[in-house]
Amino acid sequence: MTATDKPIGVLGGGAFGTTLAHLAGSNGHETLLWMRNEERAAAIVGDRENKRYLPGFKLSEKIQTTTALAEMAERCQLLLVAIPSSSFRTVVRALGDHLHGDHVLVSATKGLERGSFARMTEVLRQETCCLKIGAISGPNLAVEILRGVPGGTVIASAFEQVVHMVARPLHSPRFRIYASHDLLGVELSGAVKNVLAIAGGIARGMGFGDNTLAMLISRGLNEMTRLGAIMGAAPETFSGMAGVGDLVVTAFSDLSRNHRVGLGLAEGKPLDQILEDLGQVAEGVPTARVVKEWSDAHRVRLPICQGVFEVLYEGAKPADALEKMLSLPSMWEVESTDIT
Amino acid sequence: MKEQDRERTIVEVVGRIVEATRLGANNGGLSVEDVLADTLYFEQQRLKKSPRDRDNNAYRKLYRSIRQQLPRTSVSEQVELLRQSTDRFAREVVGKFDPRVYAFTTRVLPVGAGLMVNAVSPLSLISRLPELPSLKDQVVLRGATETLKGLANKGTVILAPTHLSNLDSIILGYSLFLLGLPPFTYGAGLNLFANPLLSFFMHNLGAYKVDRRKQAGLYKQVLKEYATVSMEFGYHNLFFPGGTRCRSGAVESHLKLGLLGCGLQAYINNLKNNKEKPNIYIVPCTLSYGLVLEAATLIDDHLKAAGKSRYIIEDDEFSKPRQVLNFVKELISLDARIVMNISEPLDPFGNRVRPDGTSEDGRGRSVDPSRYVFTGDGPDHDAQRDTEYTREAGRAVVRSLRQDATFLSTNLLAFTAFCLLRARGMDRQFYRFLRTADDLGGIPLNEVHLALERLRDALREKVRAGELGSNPVPFGFDPQSVVADGLKYFGTYHTHEVLARRGDRLFPGDMKLLYYYHNRLTGYGLESAIDERLRGDQ
Repeated sequence: MTATDKPIGVLGGGAFGTTLAHLAGSNGHETLLWMRNEERAAAIVGDRENKRYLPGFKLSEKIQTTTALAEMAERCQLLLVAIPSSSFRTVVRALGDHLHGDHVLVSATKGLERGSFARMTEVLRQETCCLKIGAISGPNLAVEILRGVPGGTVIASAFEQVVHMVARPLHSPRFRIYASHDLLGVELSGAVKNVLAIAGGIARGMGFGDNTLAMLISRGLNEMTRLGAIMGAAPETFSGMAGVGDLVVTAFSDLSRNHRVGLGLAEGKPLDQILEDLGQVAEGVPTARVVKEWSDAHRVRLPICQGVFEVLYEGAKPADALEKMLSLPSMWEVESTDIT
Repeated sequence: MKEQDRERTIVEVVGRIVEATRLGANNGGLSVEDVLADTLYFEQQRLKKSPRDRDNNAYRKLYRSIRQQLPRTSVSEQVELLRQSTDRFAREVVGKFDPRVYAFTTRVLPVGAGLMVNAVSPLSLISRLPELPSLKDQVVLRGATETLKGLANKGTVILAPTHLSNLDSIILGYSLFLLGLPPFTYGAGLNLFANPLLSFFMHNLGAYKVDRRKQAGLYKQVLKEYATVSMEFGYHNLFFPGGTRCRSGAVESHLKLGLLGCGLQAYINNLKNNKEKPNIYIVPCTLSYGLVLEAATLIDDHLKAAGKSRYIIEDDEFSKPRQVLNFVKELISLDARIVMNISEPLDPFGNRVRPDGTSEDGRGRSVDPSRYVFTGDGPDHDAQRDTEYTREAGRAVVRSLRQDATFLSTNLLAFTAFCLLRARGMDRQFYRFLRTADDLGGIPLNEVHLALERLRDALREKVRAGELGSNPVPFGFDPQSVVADGLKYFGTYHTHEVLARRGDRLFPGDMKLLYYYHNRLTGYGLESAIDERLRGDQ
């Protein structure tokens, strides 16, 4: 069996993992979806539906499920990993027992690992022997993709083979794939925009208008770009699909989990309750802490991310955090230096 | 290279390059004619600069002939001209190896580094031998020496050392001999062959000539292919991954990946040819000197060009035999030890290699390296993929070099004194600080001792965290001894005293040299241990 005959492997039966499996299946590729829970794995095959995360959407008949990581490694060469950042390392480490140098691993998780600040592809590298690694990121609301609404995403990897292997099963007229070599920039975009989406939710929840949101997006993009540049990413990546594209969709959309966290915070709900009501992981919450620690360590000023952190973890009221941000001295827009 | 392998190596190198050029031309790359025209252009530029050099007469004749023929040739005739040009380069590059000379060299070296410093004659050298103590006492070999010896029988080794001085290759050659290993093949710049005696020994210790004035792509291809073929034939290679001597004195963090890539190509070819011992092992290694012969020139170059260093320095201390002699004498009189630290070996993909020659991943799980280059039809090359693999190996080499670096008293003292001074002169722009640091006054000795204690603690913390190897300071770290030992070194050899004690204070003498020796400890985030205000400078 050649690489092109092998099923596409997807790890993680959450909203995005299921969506990726469905995309590959819809494009005619046998797809093997790994899930931790046997009952839910069986239900997906039996009902052709992910009732917990994507109720009401009929999934491709080409999707098979398994709970065995060994089977994933044995049957698939390409493995798309869509596991929440909090358990990403644990799952990948276990998967690593079964992998070889010819496997291709692609992270579909947006976020940074708490404590280590590691990007998900760094975790893939640390926990496995694999070198052909990439990341998929972009304005990808699972529900819209499943509805067939036109959209696209970015596949980033230093290896062209990785880009081609991912593009082949996922690309379609309704879901365009763009390639990038800037793995760092694409992953940072995907992580930091989640924090900014919370800010967007707060702003909307507090009844601010489009002007405020536009400012949040543009200044948020500025924060992402400065952060990325210091870390060695290409600034132009942040103007692309994975950067501003993802930021716009997350900051404006009610479908974004992180945005909904912000809305809940604006209503004065406690974080625990918001997350419980959400029933899904909102990557922006842990990422806000990572970005805060990182910006402190490197003395990078990120006022919006800082404000979100204070609301999430230091009990600041959203109104106070916003007021603090808005009270900052006036600056040159590009140079970011004070003019008052 | 052994005489019996010389001809077949040339045939292999020439054959591969000609074939690759033909295939490239058929797949949209440069045509054979273009490759020849490029070669003529770059070579003519080179020859213009040395019109009277008789060594180039053969090249002149060849290029005249090609120039006359090229406009009227068919493609097959162009291929023949390409073969001739490549053959000419290959014959120049492929070194001679005479086992009798190697045996003589390694017998002589133990009783005196004078070998490398005497520009007059072997007789003069030998007349000095009884006066010189054994080099064996000067070189301290540490780290994975036994693993290196074992792997040299299990596959082909690429030794990848840090590069501080032109003396490195001599020290390395001798260290390999001490370990009982055969000579390693390595490419040495033409300037190293300027000394006739040294040239004689370099050739016969496994060095081949690299003429950096030859800019033609074809010549560079020959160098790479020669390294690849030599590895496939089982010749261990030595390759300075920094490309040239490190100008700043820091441990290398940016590598030139050329030869590491050749290692991967050789590995794939070995797999394709079902070689009995296909494995290629990369062994990083750090060399540390209490004093560096060319320190003054190197740091000058580093500061002047701010990163745009001259690639070839032909007028440094190494080109002055008397200065080299003085330096070696100083080293010997100081009982200075040169530390060669062998790191854990790596495979061409950056995985750690166990003593039995098998690879393991970051979690200690066995890895089959051949799977990285496996395609549907078996192992094969893929230029884009292989470049990325080589980058990965390069990153692993850098990690090893930095982790296994060794710090001697001159580095520790210079780092401490420099940081203390820098904290005092933080308001000054860096270059101004270097020029004017002497007006900052002396540093009280007790302040230096306390700062050294903090540095010692910080180094221990780095060791505990796994950022540094188990013993980065091999000869003990007692602050008083470090100061005394460091000052002893700094007071000799260099024209200007690097650091001097007056009363109970230390005063900078040559700030550039102080900066140079300090740089060895940069990049580890140790500055704040000396002074918290330097945290942002880390």
